[in-house]
Amino acid sequence: MSAPESVRPGVGGLAERILPRDLTRNPDSKLAARIAQCKAEGRPALVGYLPAGYPTVAESVDAAVALGQNGADIIEIGIPYSDPVMDGTVIQNATTLALANGVRVADAFTVVRAVSERTDAVPVVMTYWNPVLQTGVDEFSRRLLEAGGAGIITPDLIPDEAGDWFEASQKYGLDRIFLVAPSTTRERMDMTVKASSGFVYAVSIMGVTGARDQVSSAAEDVVARAREAGAQNVCVGLGVSNRGHVEEIGAYADGVIVGTALVRALGEGGADAVGLLASELSGRR
Amino acid sequence: MTQQRTGTVLDQIIEGVREDLEARRAVVSLQQLQRTARAQAPALDAERALRGSEPSSVQVLSEVKRSSPSKGALADIADPAELAAAYERGGASAISVLTEKRRFGGSLTDLDAVRQAVTIPVLRKDFTVDEYQIWEARAHGADMVLLIVAALDDPTLRRFLGLTHELGMHALVETHTPEEIQRAVAVGARIIGVNTRNLKTLDVDVDTFGRLAEQIPADAVIIAESGVSGEDQIKLYAGHGANAVLTGEVLVTSDDPSRTIARFREVGAAARVDFLAGKKPPAAQAEFAAEQLADDAAAPASGGRSLKNAPGPYFGDFGGRWMPESLVAALDELTEVFDKARTDDEFAEEFQRLSRDYSGRPSLLTEAKRFGEAIGARVFLKREDLNHTGSHKINNVLGQALLAKRMGKNRLIAETGAGQHGVATATAAALFGMECCVYMGEEDTRRQALNVARMQLLGAEVVPVSHGSATLKDAINEALRDWVASVDTTHYLLGTAAGPHPFPAMVRYFHEQIGEEARAQILEQAGRLPDAVTACVGGGSNAIGIFHGFLDDPEVELYGNEAGGDGVGTGRHAATITLGRPGVLHGAKTFLMQDTDGQTIESHSISAGLDYPAVGPEHSHLHAIGRVKYEAITDTQAMDAFKLLSRTEGIIPAIESSHALAGARELAARWVQELGPETAAEKIIVVSLSGRGDKDVATAAEWFDLLPENSHEEQVGQKGEEL
Repeated sequence: MSAPESVRPGVGGLAERILPRDLTRNPDSKLAARIAQCKAEGRPALVGYLPAGYPTVAESVDAAVALGQNGADIIEIGIPYSDPVMDGTVIQNATTLALANGVRVADAFTVVRAVSERTDAVPVVMTYWNPVLQTGVDEFSRRLLEAGGAGIITPDLIPDEAGDWFEASQKYGLDRIFLVAPSTTRERMDMTVKASSGFVYAVSIMGVTGARDQVSSAAEDVVARAREAGAQNVCVGLGVSNRGHVEEIGAYADGVIVGTALVRALGEGGADAVGLLASELSGRR
Repeated sequence: MTQQRTGTVLDQIIEGVREDLEARRAVVSLQQLQRTARAQAPALDAERALRGSEPSSVQVLSEVKRSSPSKGALADIADPAELAAAYERGGASAISVLTEKRRFGGSLTDLDAVRQAVTIPVLRKDFTVDEYQIWEARAHGADMVLLIVAALDDPTLRRFLGLTHELGMHALVETHTPEEIQRAVAVGARIIGVNTRNLKTLDVDVDTFGRLAEQIPADAVIIAESGVSGEDQIKLYAGHGANAVLTGEVLVTSDDPSRTIARFREVGAAARVDFLAGKKPPAAQAEFAAEQLADDAAAPASGGRSLKNAPGPYFGDFGGRWMPESLVAALDELTEVFDKARTDDEFAEEFQRLSRDYSGRPSLLTEAKRFGEAIGARVFLKREDLNHTGSHKINNVLGQALLAKRMGKNRLIAETGAGQHGVATATAAALFGMECCVYMGEEDTRRQALNVARMQLLGAEVVPVSHGSATLKDAINEALRDWVASVDTTHYLLGTAAGPHPFPAMVRYFHEQIGEEARAQILEQAGRLPDAVTACVGGGSNAIGIFHGFLDDPEVELYGNEAGGDGVGTGRHAATITLGRPGVLHGAKTFLMQDTDGQTIESHSISAGLDYPAVGPEHSHLHAIGRVKYEAITDTQAMDAFKLLSRTEGIIPAIESSHALAGARELAARWVQELGPETAAEKIIVVSLSGRGDKDVATAAEWFDLLPENSHEEQVGQKGEEL
């Protein structure tokens, strides 16, 4: 493979002002490779979210492994956080319980390692930024790579504040998954797409996490705008709860992200229920 | 001969410039340059950029300069591109890049790097003595060249200017004397620079600017050059009609160039407004000279730089926008609307009118003589408790509600701890006919049941939040969740000087009147500035408001009093700066109470309004640079001060404000011990009495055991509930 080319354009715009000049797309991205494989198989990637330590660390390991063994291509391991401003009630309750049960940031690496070693799914971490900041951005990245993680999804970190993360992600070959939303302006879309690697996380609605009966039509527009800005892989999240949604979104997105529905299944029926739902969502059942 | 001898330092410089130029010509022919120049993207419109879109604005032409003949090496600029990008971020309208090598250490390589890094016009600043250099500038992507009138005869000047315009560029035509101005105008210069540096002596005389600038026709863009060491010169130049200011050294040596530029634009615009209104500043020059003398005698604590009006998003290492992307568009819109409003007379008038006719401003400054005698120093209370709704919160609420109106948003959401901000927001919503929803920790709705009723009476919906610790921080989380889903129609009226940009700078702006009034009032009443100012700090809005008036008075000690709860050794407190460490919460990098994993630790205080585990980022900065001292006050100390003020002055303070009273008491005790009672008694403390204590009567009655044993009231009080 030839030397990775800088994603930063010659002149102009927000991207030029915000992104470091030596920023490259991750040439060895496991996420991009997996999504490419799904595309080759003619289907969207199934991306599942579960919080580490819910309800306990051991049970969250079982649930994540069940998710990976029943059709998830990519697994987001969430780090429970005291102030989860982007999460709806179901995930808030789950992460609050996990914290009450004593989950620590380091436990997320245990779950990531289990997914990496025991399933074919590609594990990533989804986390609010302060836990990463307090661990140390470099240290967190090093440990994530060591555990077999492929990158970080950052719901409250925008590229504007991501200087340390650009550095560490390049040093360790991790993917930077930033979010874009229906309210994202064209200029910010351009910048955020350039800042991302692996895939771009398209928020389908203006709101917090939570399963919804219908997925907003705004999603398709966000995906189209992200592609226009040069995104190779766009996955859609927020509101997906059944196979119908997966198919509907899979028609225009490269991956479909399911969170709340899986967390609810885990709460109601344990790891088995997660496995069942995953196989339904992936169309295996 | 295209140039003329000047009999100054220019002659020698130009000799070197010519030698270097010939060396380059031997490598790259004029024809080659011309081909490259023609292949370049068209030049950007530097004239328009330097004139600015608003007549009242002042532009900054920021210079990348490694050294100068008058000062030698200025700074080791590792990366001119990065510096230029920082200039652009700070709001520079154009970048000037020195390319002269021998005296200024510049190069065309620097020019190339800067051109790649910025999207605004770039000036190639060199001693232009040959057409080759003009082509060269264009070939390297420059949008503007420098033509020094003193170095060129009239036909050459005319020819160079013609070629510059032909290539789509503009020329900064630099003058030093009235004659040179006449020559510049005669050849059709559109951008005229007035350099206040005397070429013979290399001395700068900023006072020459006004005299020269008034000879320049009104339709030319006027650039002030040299002599900028801080805001004073910007004010002086802008006050004499400069459209833009060229500045390099002060930026290159500044540790935060973006912030400096932003400040320059702000003070420049204020001075230019006066200029446009016809207020010639005849006294300004004398005043400036006098100030310079005074400054030399006593450099302010900040090392000469003003700490006032910090624009954000960063305050030193703190601040920023650590927020979900979904909200960034709304924050951008708010920033833009706020920036426009603060320079808009109509907005200022409406805000002042409401503050005066609705809130009852200015609030009084009352000397608390008996309280002062009791603690051993003179105490003056800034009476924010007398504002409508009973606290300082109304200032910010009226300002932001006006902004919401400008954005066409008809729904206000807010968080509240003690209920004062919720009541103030509900009040503004009622006044403006807006919908209002207030999020309040469930715990706090019990502690402050009367305030819940007040909000409901005012027509607001109060939503108790039971997640997390069910206090202020969780109310903010819930308000943010609402905002993510409703941002098109809703303004989040954040109640303190915390959160993501622009909130910290904006909330402070609406509270600055506290400090401005207090400073003027104490000067009038006591005939001098106070020795200290104390204010309570939760998020820190009243504190930043009153501190702002005194930030640049280094002789005034500033104290922020945090909630020490049961004591800072107990773990049950809200002493964020005293015991926390930097992290990110609610959109800002600031001091936080957190565990080693970065999980927020629940705070504790008898005062709901201070019960917050973070603090506004500007306070973190003022702490880091040592301008403000932050000290913790325990519940017991606060309640003792609460009682003392009630009994000595007939004023029942909010428990929040009682922390500032206790802070004053601690300070006075130290003075008595260190200086003796007689000297201490002459000292003056201004205390921010941020709110009245009616809402706290139940808590206080329980604290002081005033309720009949086993009465219904006592049972209610024990549960921490409001009567």
